[in-house]
Amino acid sequence: MTCDECGKAEARVAYTEFANGKAATWHLCEECAGKRGVSASLSSLSGPLVNILMGLIEEVGRSGAPEPGPICGGCGLSLAEFRRTGKLGCSACYESFRDELAPLLRRIHGSCEHGGRVPSSLEPTEGPRREVRRLRSELERAVRREEYERAAELRDLVREKEIALGLGKDDVDV
Amino acid sequence: MWTFDAMMREPAAWLDASGARSDAILSTRVRVARSLEGERFPNRAGASDLERVRARVVEAALRSNYLRNALVIDMPEADRASRSVLVERHLVSPDFASDPTGRAVVIGEREIVSAMVNEEDHIRLQCIRSGLQPVDAWRLVGKIESELDRNLHYAFHSDWGYLTACPTNVGTGMRVSVLAHLIGLSRSGRVSEVLGSVSKLGLSVRGSYGEGSDAQGAFFQVSNQTTLGQSEEDIAYTVERVAGRLAGLECEARERLVEKDRRISDEIHRSWGILRSARLLSASEVMELGSSLRLGVALGMITSVGLAAVNRLLVMTQPGHVAYAGGGSSAEERDAARADIVRRELAPAA
Repeated sequence: MTCDECGKAEARVAYTEFANGKAATWHLCEECAGKRGVSASLSSLSGPLVNILMGLIEEVGRSGAPEPGPICGGCGLSLAEFRRTGKLGCSACYESFRDELAPLLRRIHGSCEHGGRVPSSLEPTEGPRREVRRLRSELERAVRREEYERAAELRDLVREKEIALGLGKDDVDV
Repeated sequence: MWTFDAMMREPAAWLDASGARSDAILSTRVRVARSLEGERFPNRAGASDLERVRARVVEAALRSNYLRNALVIDMPEADRASRSVLVERHLVSPDFASDPTGRAVVIGEREIVSAMVNEEDHIRLQCIRSGLQPVDAWRLVGKIESELDRNLHYAFHSDWGYLTACPTNVGTGMRVSVLAHLIGLSRSGRVSEVLGSVSKLGLSVRGSYGEGSDAQGAFFQVSNQTTLGQSEEDIAYTVERVAGRLAGLECEARERLVEKDRRISDEIHRSWGILRSARLLSASEVMELGSSLRLGVALGMITSVGLAAVNRLLVMTQPGHVAYAGGGSSAEERDAARADIVRRELAPAA
């Protein structure tokens, strides 16, 4: 079988990629596989997950406005450039492009809330913050299930913890 | 003293087949991506930015307990063969090796823990263990990550966790990858079905090997797809559970295959014969024959060599290793050097 890409060399690698719920398989020679970041060797089974994202970004890009959009104050990256490359330029980009990134992250990860460890310097504030977030989602669930007694308990708990964190109590009411 | 030559003499710890389910799982790799607050990500950094980050990360690594005796390789100073060796040992990515500017790799003893500096993110810290050990590997990575945390200020977002250059890694920045040898499932024609089910459980599966062809030995990589939302422990446990079940299915498939197909036993013994006797071997031939031999050893059909030796073989015969060992300039000379390495690795212990 010849390579699907160059049509010349013998295909040595069958590469299947799952993207947007569809599987696509290419039969590639080693050189073309290498260009796609796929290799027949044991050492480089590190295929481009990023392609999945690129698909998403292109989609976002198509639906978005044609102008370059906002520019990150931290590194000068434009939103258009991010859409093209799929790479952010610095940590400030996450705030600069927050409105674009929030739905994108949800689509990629199915979640928009970090559930893992935090840097030790932030533990004193991040720990309680995360606890408040957890209680808030529990509160929402209780309201949905019409468990009002439990909801009231949770609301008081959230209020208490938010006051301790110095957050406004306006956000607390359900 | 831990040096590059010492690294080449002593095989990586993850090849020793001591981990759980080593019959079906070659290795487990856990890596976390971290960025430094206030520094541009490598894709938008200038030479002086990269150098500053390199110096800060290497210094922090060498101050940590676990990596204080680590080998530090500045990629621009490494020759071509050494760079290929690093790729083949899973210590750096192919992209990291092909564009060495401003990049360094920090390698701990026996290659258990290592860190790429200035890959896509400032830090890619990883631990590779033998067999199926996601939870243990995460614990070790987590410990070292905390040590580095004392001297480096990671970029972190209250909602989105650790920030990375690519949004696919944000959150925990953690990828757990298990390298599975699924020759039984491949030969029984079940690999697509089984891996399809695995992918429905939120794990991604990659293999360079088509169903039925087995040209490259039926090795597949199973890893977590998402990094934001779950805790590191949850991710590690999920991969451990699913890959453990996968290993179970693989072993059942192997047993059934051997019971009903005499040709498998023949193929295993032929592979063993060729590997021990051939004078010219290509890299893909070793991968294919080595995969059959690995099955034979795992099933107890071949007893004069262990899984560790076969694992080593699969790495030591790749092009960079052959070149590093001085394996000739023509393809034929390289194949001859490769066959020598194979015979040496498979020679009965003196």
